[in-house]
Amino acid sequence: MLLLLAVLPGLFWDAAPDTAPALKGAGIAQIAVPRSRVGAWKAVDGISVRPADLDGATKLLAPLVNYRMQEATATAAPWVIANGWKFIRRPDDRYYYDVAGKQTALAAAEAFAYAVPALIRSDADGLQPLGQMLHFLAGVPGDPLPAVADIGYIDDGSALSGEVMNLMVRNNLLFKLVRAPDKSLKLNVQLGSRDYPLADAKNPGTMAHQVRYHLTDDKRSLRIYGSPVVVARLTGSGDHLRLHLLNYAGAARKVDGIRVRVLGQFSKHQLWMADGAGVDLMDYTVDDQATEFTLPELKMYAVVDLSR
Amino acid sequence: MDRRIFLQVAAAAPLTASPADQPVYRVVSAYKPAAQPGMPGPYPGQVIRVHSENSIDTATAQVNAQQVKRMIATGMTALTGDSRAEDAWARFIKPNDVVGIKINCSGAPQIRSSPEVVGAIAESLIAVGVPAKQIYVYERFQNQLQSVDYPKYLPAGVNLHAAETSRSSILGYDPKTYVETSFFGEDDTRSNVMRLVSETLTKIVNVPNLKEHQASGVTGCLKNVAYGNYSNVARSHSFEKTNTLTFIGTLAAAEPVRSRVVLNIMDGLRGVWHAGPFSEMPRFRFFPKQLMIGTDPVAMDHMLIDVIEEKRKAEGAVSIWDRSMSHVGRDNSDPNINHFIREPGHVEYAGKLGLGVYDKERIRLKVLEL
Repeated sequence: MLLLLAVLPGLFWDAAPDTAPALKGAGIAQIAVPRSRVGAWKAVDGISVRPADLDGATKLLAPLVNYRMQEATATAAPWVIANGWKFIRRPDDRYYYDVAGKQTALAAAEAFAYAVPALIRSDADGLQPLGQMLHFLAGVPGDPLPAVADIGYIDDGSALSGEVMNLMVRNNLLFKLVRAPDKSLKLNVQLGSRDYPLADAKNPGTMAHQVRYHLTDDKRSLRIYGSPVVVARLTGSGDHLRLHLLNYAGAARKVDGIRVRVLGQFSKHQLWMADGAGVDLMDYTVDDQATEFTLPELKMYAVVDLSR
Repeated sequence: MDRRIFLQVAAAAPLTASPADQPVYRVVSAYKPAAQPGMPGPYPGQVIRVHSENSIDTATAQVNAQQVKRMIATGMTALTGDSRAEDAWARFIKPNDVVGIKINCSGAPQIRSSPEVVGAIAESLIAVGVPAKQIYVYERFQNQLQSVDYPKYLPAGVNLHAAETSRSSILGYDPKTYVETSFFGEDDTRSNVMRLVSETLTKIVNVPNLKEHQASGVTGCLKNVAYGNYSNVARSHSFEKTNTLTFIGTLAAAEPVRSRVVLNIMDGLRGVWHAGPFSEMPRFRFFPKQLMIGTDPVAMDHMLIDVIEEKRKAEGAVSIWDRSMSHVGRDNSDPNINHFIREPGHVEYAGKLGLGVYDKERIRLKVLEL
């Protein structure tokens, strides 16, 4: 039954029905098409069609890593382009990606990780990787659990605030939006307050560091070691957690191992990994505070369920 | 984030991003120190320097392998007082040991632990009864290791091992043994020791080169066992002012590294006196034609500092102790320009951690000529 609850992204395809063989070759059996093409597509066997309109939908950035080697920066950290903060800010908006090639797969995984039914407009080269990813995602049980948050963030809706959220997502600082400080959380953040002056927020990276400092690393529900291009999302509560791991460089290269630390004791685990047959977690440890494990490789996307 | 803004964060956030000169370290290791840790070992403050004009041809850079063997044997017996080299080696290595030879290939192919030196060490280990299959010649990066033809010089059966078969892979490192710190607010705060070191080796013979280093001042015994055995270390020198002063000694002093490094043989046949640890500019190479041998990495690295300083002085270059920002810049083809403020004080710092003797009056340097 849980399978039915999974929120899947889908392909937005505005080409003519004579492209159906390419879709079928990629294993794609469901598409969204412009309303004007629905009639023509209805005649095609083996492809389920629904109408969609991108007007009014929010276009997302292509998820990727820009290494910006030509620029001198204060850290060697690559620039991760992620859309997670947009999903957190407006989870009910309609979204679409306009991506090509293997980025279609990463886009689908990113949307799935945030349970957002985004549409993905792709070129022909993107069909095969997208089809494979959608097939993988369809096999992952749904996850209706809420996001785990260490931080309550009061979002004023400004672009500046959005960029601070973006940096927190990229730095794996787990937060949720609150209207007022929530004492049940480890930390509450409001731009313009004494601890988070607006002047500092003009550099969102600085602000994200401030938030991390005030939270402290020991209290972070999630730590990722070994790669600066992996962004995680953690959902769940109590006895069950789900960890989504996205390799934002995944369209170009896999990550050879990341170490994950999750607060809490979880003796059991189950791994789903796209294009990762035979891979299992390594060096799994549970101590009195945290659970740690190594994922030996991450091509693009993995889901780890943890339970007590 | 630019440098200035970062430092503001660092000053405001000492726990996650310590001020650049006051990092806080957390050492996580289940390994207990040996009854007598390898560093400083049984010969604190003692350094043997063996020099030979015939050790290397400066025109061709061809190493005289037979002379190198004699230099190592002479140095070993001078260190221990034994008359036979085998007896000297047997003080450090038993036949049941699994021995790592920690080489340095960061400047390869021009500057690296000479395969003739490494081969002679492996033969010495076999001579005291260690099976070849229990010997590992190792380095962190496979591409660097493979850039030198070590197999040609090694006895059959000796293993070659690299921690990172692909760059930045963490799989060759022990997830349970690490030093944790945040220098600049980096999110990955752990530097893990190589699995080979913690899980397989019982002894390590350290074979650094004789080199200046743009960040740490010199890269000798201490840096080769520190940055050469742990992951994620380049983060210490991301900016002009680095954290090499304290990081090198901290890593070297952590178990099991401290206990297992029982001998240092510094390959000074060739050297680099500027723009190290690489050797992209031939004009900064020189030929000290020497090996240094000892168990005390601090004393040996103090001698290394002297060699580099003497050479730089002869070349009219500023001291590695110079801290003027006017000598910091990108174009280090000028020997008075460096990418970083060097931290040769890391050697004395390691001495304060108990890794050896820094005080020159307590260092006994024995110079032998072959």
